[in-house]
Amino acid sequence: MGAVVLLRRAGWRLLQRCEPVLKHQLTPTQRTFCKSAVVWRVLDENKQQPPSSPKQDSETHQPGEQSDSEPRQHSHSSYTGQGGYESEGYESEEQLQQRILTASLEFVREYGWTPEAIAEGAKSLDLSAAATGMFENDGSDLVFHFVSQCNTQLNKLLEEEHKLVQLGQAEKKKTDQFLRDAIEARLKMLIPYIDKWPQAMSIMLFPQNIPAALNLLTSMVDDMWHYAGDQSTDINWYTRRAMLAGIYNTTELVMVQDSSSDYKDTWHFLENRIDNAMKMGHAAKQVKSTGDALVQGLMGATITLKNMTGLNQRR
Amino acid sequence: MAVVANRRCVVGLCRRLCGITAMRWFTRFQHTDRQRVETHFGFEPVSEAEKKEKVQQVFDNVALKYDIMNDFMTLGIHRLWKDSLLRLMKPYPGTRLLDVAGGTGDIAFLFLDYIYSQREIQMRRELKSWQNLSWLEISKSYQETGQDLLGGSHAVICDINQKMMAFGEKKARQLGYTKGLSWVVGNAEELPFFDDNFDIYTVGFGIRNMTNIKQALQEAYRVLKPGGRFLCLEFSQVNNPLISRIYDLYSFQVIPVLGEVIVGDWKSYQYLVESIRLFPAQEEFKAMIEDAGFMKVNYHNLASGIAAIHSGFKL
Repeated sequence: MGAVVLLRRAGWRLLQRCEPVLKHQLTPTQRTFCKSAVVWRVLDENKQQPPSSPKQDSETHQPGEQSDSEPRQHSHSSYTGQGGYESEGYESEEQLQQRILTASLEFVREYGWTPEAIAEGAKSLDLSAAATGMFENDGSDLVFHFVSQCNTQLNKLLEEEHKLVQLGQAEKKKTDQFLRDAIEARLKMLIPYIDKWPQAMSIMLFPQNIPAALNLLTSMVDDMWHYAGDQSTDINWYTRRAMLAGIYNTTELVMVQDSSSDYKDTWHFLENRIDNAMKMGHAAKQVKSTGDALVQGLMGATITLKNMTGLNQRR
Repeated sequence: MAVVANRRCVVGLCRRLCGITAMRWFTRFQHTDRQRVETHFGFEPVSEAEKKEKVQQVFDNVALKYDIMNDFMTLGIHRLWKDSLLRLMKPYPGTRLLDVAGGTGDIAFLFLDYIYSQREIQMRRELKSWQNLSWLEISKSYQETGQDLLGGSHAVICDINQKMMAFGEKKARQLGYTKGLSWVVGNAEELPFFDDNFDIYTVGFGIRNMTNIKQALQEAYRVLKPGGRFLCLEFSQVNNPLISRIYDLYSFQVIPVLGEVIVGDWKSYQYLVESIRLFPAQEEFKAMIEDAGFMKVNYHNLASGIAAIHSGFKL
């Protein structure tokens, strides 16, 4: 009997020691894993997976188990871009947010660039409207999402064009023609939301949103100049970007008020502005070269003068 | 692995040697031992069962004067805090709210007010969009909207203490809140609701008194719909040393006295103050919420940390 008691005691001590292990506090990696596994459940409504509690998820989806997540990975690849973590088949917080915002764009025409539109977007993904709380209250997140989406779209467009030119399948456009087309293509992306676009413009002008808005604008202008073949590294780099940003913004303002069919007035305006800018550029060049010539002439004159007066004599 | 094998071995041995009774003893021993050290009632260490009883007693004692006492203790500031909770929540018409430990219904009433005002704005907007209507159509629209002023919103108040809840129900009747409210007696650690049931879960100055906070958080996660939001308003740790000094002085010297004078109960308010000191600090509580599975967890300090609102999303 004594032996039994001893054994029991030893066993109890062992149990106590391993209890903290068994209680398993989730490590950060496991935590994210379990979270993303839960996110998955939300995504796969189409598949009608039986809902499982987060606890079960954390137990069943161990990193080693590939077999379970493989069919999911496949369907998921359409949502996500590249990147190590995402390609595993899980969606990060940011990606889910992007997905909500993309879904919300459909409701912008009805509700404007507002939290209501985001709420409707969340509902359309079978999420609770309370998820709107993740985003800024003024709707700026939605606007910025749209703008950056348009920028990437434009970037792709320009890249393809560039490729065609490099392969020799298309002729290289002149710079002014290229810029005109790029701005036109970019502005045309606003047409579906043109009724609500003034609201978005005003949202981007809130003091707290200006830095982000400027960032998006400059990156867009940068892309345009990059594909237009600008390689300047002097002050021109700045003037060119400022000029293009100015043209884009003014044309945007014209477009918002344009009532002509197919925005003819807007494109006309755009063409004129680009012409002006190009003329300005030429004029600036001319002024510069005249200036250079003038300076050289003056230098020569002074030297002659010096020689004549004998100041320049070496002794 | 070896530890687990060992444990299994010991349990097996027990079963073989001493029969089932020993097994039962074994598990019971383990259970009671864990309970003994786990929790606090104020600064006094107590067992879990004891804490539950004592908390019950505290709120039985203070139920009738709870609101008055809150106003005196915080100089009415708790109302501002609850307002800022609502401002953060921004519920939409159609939201289902679960207010845990919401005995006297403050948060639920504010929620209903918010929904009503939101709904009114919506209706005004709708009326603007229909311009020339006949009288018949207008009266019809009024009838429709009159029936559905809440837009499907609903607030469920769940509290473990019946006395507090009885007081809250009385208050609701006096203030004229009839629709869109339900009162359920229940324990936050085992909520009597189905999974994925609510858009927003709030707990205002209540989670501190729960015996097992982790379990309460897990329950919150369970009952929320995907995309739903967890919001917790709770006393927290003051980070400014000067304010902290004054705050300590006030809470240990003034609040129990106020409790004695107004409610005739020193001890309950002594407990209140002590329990605030023992509640985890902002960052620690944030980590606990994240452990329960919530994402995008953040917090806002109110009055330099005297109270804090924690927010998290089930995604």
